[in-house]
Amino acid sequence: MKTESKLTLGGVEFESRLLMGTGKFASSETMTRAIEAAGAQLVTVALRRFNPGQPSDDLLGPLRNLKITLAPNTSGARNADEAVRAAMLCRELSGSRFVKVEIHPNPHHLMPDPIETYAASKTLVKEGFIVLPYMPADPVLAKRLEDVGCAAVMPLGSAIGTGHGLATAEMLRLIIEGSSVPVIVDAGLRAPSEAAAAMEMGCGAVLVNSAIAAARDPVAMAAAFAAAVKAGYAARGAGLMSRSAEAVATSPLTSFLT
Amino acid sequence: MKRTGNIGTIPDWLNPEPWLDVVRTADEASVRRALDAASLHEEEFAALVSPAAADLLEALAQRALERTRTHFGRTIAFYVPLYLSNYCSGGCIYCGFASDRRHARRRLEPADMLREFEAIKAMGFEEILLLTGERTPRADYAYVRDAVAEAARHFASVTVEAFPMTADEYRGLADAGCVGVTLYQETYDPVQYSRLHRWGPKRDYANRLEAPARVLGARVRFAGLGALLGISEPFFDILALYRHARYLQRRFWQAGLTISFPRVCPQEGGFVPPYPVSNRQLAQFVFAFRIAMPDVPLTLSTRESETFRDGIAGVGISKMSIASRTTVGGYETRNESPDGQFHVNDDRNVAAFCAALKAKGLEPVFKNWDKLFR
Repeated sequence: MKTESKLTLGGVEFESRLLMGTGKFASSETMTRAIEAAGAQLVTVALRRFNPGQPSDDLLGPLRNLKITLAPNTSGARNADEAVRAAMLCRELSGSRFVKVEIHPNPHHLMPDPIETYAASKTLVKEGFIVLPYMPADPVLAKRLEDVGCAAVMPLGSAIGTGHGLATAEMLRLIIEGSSVPVIVDAGLRAPSEAAAAMEMGCGAVLVNSAIAAARDPVAMAAAFAAAVKAGYAARGAGLMSRSAEAVATSPLTSFLT
Repeated sequence: MKRTGNIGTIPDWLNPEPWLDVVRTADEASVRRALDAASLHEEEFAALVSPAAADLLEALAQRALERTRTHFGRTIAFYVPLYLSNYCSGGCIYCGFASDRRHARRRLEPADMLREFEAIKAMGFEEILLLTGERTPRADYAYVRDAVAEAARHFASVTVEAFPMTADEYRGLADAGCVGVTLYQETYDPVQYSRLHRWGPKRDYANRLEAPARVLGARVRFAGLGALLGISEPFFDILALYRHARYLQRRFWQAGLTISFPRVCPQEGGFVPPYPVSNRQLAQFVFAFRIAMPDVPLTLSTRESETFRDGIAGVGISKMSIASRTTVGGYETRNESPDGQFHVNDDRNVAAFCAALKAKGLEPVFKNWDKLFR
């Protein structure tokens, strides 16, 4: 099948199809080295971790020195109104038009609220943002978000931070089948093989954070994810052979037709 | 059998009695099953806190480390306590601020607060916990609310640990910028509760017990729970604490919880804890909570020693205070008054503690919230 060589989001092109999150690292040095090892060009960072008054605690500062595009996220918002205000502040502080809409009313399992995510995305598109919504793996919601102008849809592979991989694979397939914007699997990945599998399924990109930050060697794991994403994407382009039938019946079911 | 004290009865949704037998009879096999369970309930939690699991403490620690790293990464969130007032109408037998204690009573006035906020900001903190004693005319609801409103102008996150309030009062706190309210039941055993809380409004066991539900009902984001370990039978309290947390999660789908592990140590003041909890048992309780509630922040204060805190940071515990003063104010002047609510066992400064965490591969996080999310 035909595949584009670059990932295009809101008219902006990216060579890398591995997006990265920035939480959970042991230091901002490890975080920046991991981003470099991943070759990530689009990186998300939470507004709640912006702390310009205290540079040693600030995640925005070190990211500014990298050759990357920032997609600040609204993590902490529990409804559309808060997310919209957070996005405005993110744009003001980071200068980026990208926003990753994250609305999770429950601060523990962090599952995205579909209703508030839809409302916030609709508003933010109108406000001129390039909107990347983190969403449940719901094929209908994916089309609704595409219809209001989101630049991509970001369904979860499984709950954030769980490492349960592509638990939503069945729904992801439907989303990919129906989508005209890139599908970016966000959350739940643990192993590079899962990132490769997502790309083989036809995802436009994957976003990884915990699997890299919580690995024994985050920098090496970032490089491993980068290789897996490239391999999976290449495999999708090369066209996977079809699975062969399990067995051939000794008495063909169609023998009566001869 | 339900425990009934002269101040109230433990409700069914909280009563841990049915699982105390599990604690007693758990064996290695049941602990290992609990460790590997995909979803945990009272049965598994009871096995994890049991004496049988004490023999598998290293296995519990390993699992707790995995869970902590998965959900919180290699970070420790920081908060700092500020005692606004030590006026108190309570008669808690174990507390340095109880109304029959003879030390000087004081409260911070608005000008004092500003100086304390500035001193605390200069230390880098962005999450402040404001504390008072039980409700008194000198430190009443309006006093706490106004302190929250002022603190909210300076800090990314403001939380409160004071006295049980009404639903309307909690709504007022939320409007003033309060993100979380901590209220320990101290002990869930109504019989022991009645013995330890000798007079004052705190004798109302049920009112205190229902307060965290009022907090969450008032749309304050986080309710902080805890049992004061050492003052009552620990298995009863730790199981009830678990049930309390689960109950709130079921009742309030947006509930944010934090769970703390305050412990009264025998060497403190005049009060000798009747049920001392050892370091190993305290660690086991932390690990059990981390395994059973992997995504809930677990906090530890400077009541605990340097060695214990450094050891358990990131292995279950995800949120900590440092450089704490348990006197009224005290950040601006760094006065060395001995009249704190409890003895600070880890008296390192911020830089020393950050260095210890970094040596363990953990990043201190001062700001993990934003004023906008209120």
